[in-house]
Amino acid sequence: MILRRPATIVATLALCLTAAAPVAAQSPAASASDAVVSADWLEQHLDDPSVRVLEVSVVPGVYDRGHIPGAVNVAWHTDLVDPVRRDIASGESIQSLLRAAGVNDDSTIVLYGDNNNWFAAWGAWVLDVYGADDVRLLDGGRVKWEADGRPLEVAPPTPAEGSFTAAEADGDLRAFLPEVLAVVEGSDQAQLVDIRGPAEFSGEIFAPEGVQELSIRAGHIPGAINVPWGQNVTEDGTFKSPDDLRALYAAVGIDGSQPIITYCRIGERASLTWFVLHRILGYDAQVYDGSWTEYGNSVGLPVENPAGTVWGGQ
Amino acid sequence: MTVAVPPSDDPAQGGVVGISGPSTRVVAQRLAAGGLVAVVLVVVAGLLVGTPGQGVPAATSLAIGAALGVVFARGRFCFFCILRDLIEHRDSAPTYAILAALAVGGVGYAVVFGMFLPDPSTGRLPAQAFIGPVSWVLVAGGLCFGVGMALSGGCISALLYRMGEGYGRAPIGLLGALVGFGLGFLSWQPLYLATIVRAPEMWLPAELGYVGALVVHLGALGVLALLLMRWLPPTRPTETARPTLGAVYRRVFVWRWPALVTGALVGLIGAVAYLRVAPLGVTQQLGTLSRSVMTDAGLIGDRLNGLDAFSGCVAVVGELLVDNGWLVGAMVLGSFGVSIAGGRFRITGVTLRNGTTALLGGVLMGWGAMVALGCTVGTLLSGISAFAIAGWVFGAAVVAGVWLGIRLRLHTI
Repeated sequence: MILRRPATIVATLALCLTAAAPVAAQSPAASASDAVVSADWLEQHLDDPSVRVLEVSVVPGVYDRGHIPGAVNVAWHTDLVDPVRRDIASGESIQSLLRAAGVNDDSTIVLYGDNNNWFAAWGAWVLDVYGADDVRLLDGGRVKWEADGRPLEVAPPTPAEGSFTAAEADGDLRAFLPEVLAVVEGSDQAQLVDIRGPAEFSGEIFAPEGVQELSIRAGHIPGAINVPWGQNVTEDGTFKSPDDLRALYAAVGIDGSQPIITYCRIGERASLTWFVLHRILGYDAQVYDGSWTEYGNSVGLPVENPAGTVWGGQ
Repeated sequence: MTVAVPPSDDPAQGGVVGISGPSTRVVAQRLAAGGLVAVVLVVVAGLLVGTPGQGVPAATSLAIGAALGVVFARGRFCFFCILRDLIEHRDSAPTYAILAALAVGGVGYAVVFGMFLPDPSTGRLPAQAFIGPVSWVLVAGGLCFGVGMALSGGCISALLYRMGEGYGRAPIGLLGALVGFGLGFLSWQPLYLATIVRAPEMWLPAELGYVGALVVHLGALGVLALLLMRWLPPTRPTETARPTLGAVYRRVFVWRWPALVTGALVGLIGAVAYLRVAPLGVTQQLGTLSRSVMTDAGLIGDRLNGLDAFSGCVAVVGELLVDNGWLVGAMVLGSFGVSIAGGRFRITGVTLRNGTTALLGGVLMGWGAMVALGCTVGTLLSGISAFAIAGWVFGAAVVAGVWLGIRLRLHTI
């Protein structure tokens, strides 16, 4: 990965771009093609041994009843997280997971999943944290692949053991509560992006109906900017063009000139926006995977709650 | 519609086209009417494919439900009737339909499992298969369900297909089941915390592998088949004449399908259902409806601890119509279509007495199916086919409950 943390270069580049240099405008698009693969591309590379495909879906049985040929199933709730502590999976677990999936250090890993690639993006972030070199998302995920009428197969593959070696977790991609708090208190500079819906952001509701993970305070982290995740994608679930994405974030003052921290409720949708900001646009961005269920449940932290909704109130 | 001769399961009795049965014209009318139902089902399936939020799984559920309705109705695949024949009339012939369904279903599930979860020893369970927790609650649910079957004259799946044949008690029994589900949801939390939370989800392949599990499965069914032979009635002489069109019509639409054919088809449909959509079950939609009403009324909370983590024929939160609803609806329609085609549709009246027993039986079945995470189709048929110990335990408890019900003459009230 070339654009791991070149914040200043990218910021300069972004400034150049807003100064309207048509030739320079092409170069971030090149980074986009590195991060996102089209269904056409993937279908042509299904037999390419250097490409390993992983499915991270949320709905049980989706993978089992048909997946992209050669794709290996990854269960987000056991494979990508520590099932006991609230944490992402250890480097060791990710290493053995990827080796079992036939991933080598020089493999191109393509992730896809249901629900607009939410958990696939989370997977891409986790793999990036552990130093996987070439992690990409299938544009449009499962829905687009199926809508295109492309082939699926039922039998899971039996890949030969890979040689992937996990690196130490890259702290530059992940924000913890103290770092977020430092931003809130002004001792660190970063832009907080809240990708939840406007009603959650404003504190009108604690969480969308039916979800189990709740915070007992409503609202958002002070200073956060609300850009709901859905604005990253078009109607068919594919990502908007890099230019559109850049304009979307520039309109709310996010242009890559400052580090960015994304968060949502439990961390998975924030990974999708992180993927857009960091991998497609090349901005310096981190996921705060503790997200609102950590922040909004923590004692003594400042909260912005414009709607004034009170927990337990009628 | 004119039905000249009362329809019968028995070839020795009337209903014979061209001899003493209905005229060719009447038969043609019946077939046309049944065909019309089939056309309706095909059109609805086609519409579902293109409907956002429904799609192929809903259409497939519809097709599976219709097939199940036809096979259940034509084979009289009614768990209570089959068990009553065995317990009361000492006739084990119909029981072989259940054994055949479980045998074919087991082979089908083994094939599907081999694809879904190649290594069963990892501690994971195959996606969505009805492998439920084994505890005394499951036994209580099965007993209650069995007694309810005797009271209402059929299990939930039988009430569904018999509703398509015009059986008046069926909708009342199903209404009772909705109430029973509600009582089940009310009692779920204490039962879950007291017992179910620690109950093991026992699955044969985890210990024995697929081959071992299938050997044990087929072996157990084989032993049951041998034991039941002593109550087999004398076989009828087979016909030697070349079948006429009328004879084919009778065989397909009028006479009861042979037990082994019925059972094998049920097992096949079960495996196909699991492969394409979800394990076969008929209580998920009913439970979902009941849960939704209860939640809206504030009688139960949004969350039922543990319930949503189990794979079973259980209610879905936050939805009103699930794929299972298309299956259940199509089951009634499939049975309706095939009973019209065979001239077997007739609306039977309800008295205060048999309506009350149907309702009470339904309540018992609803409660039992809720706490057992499924009924004779979900937990028994799909569970045993999936090599779940819970399926066998529930099955044994249901048989005991039906035996008790018949001993207490509940089915004659």
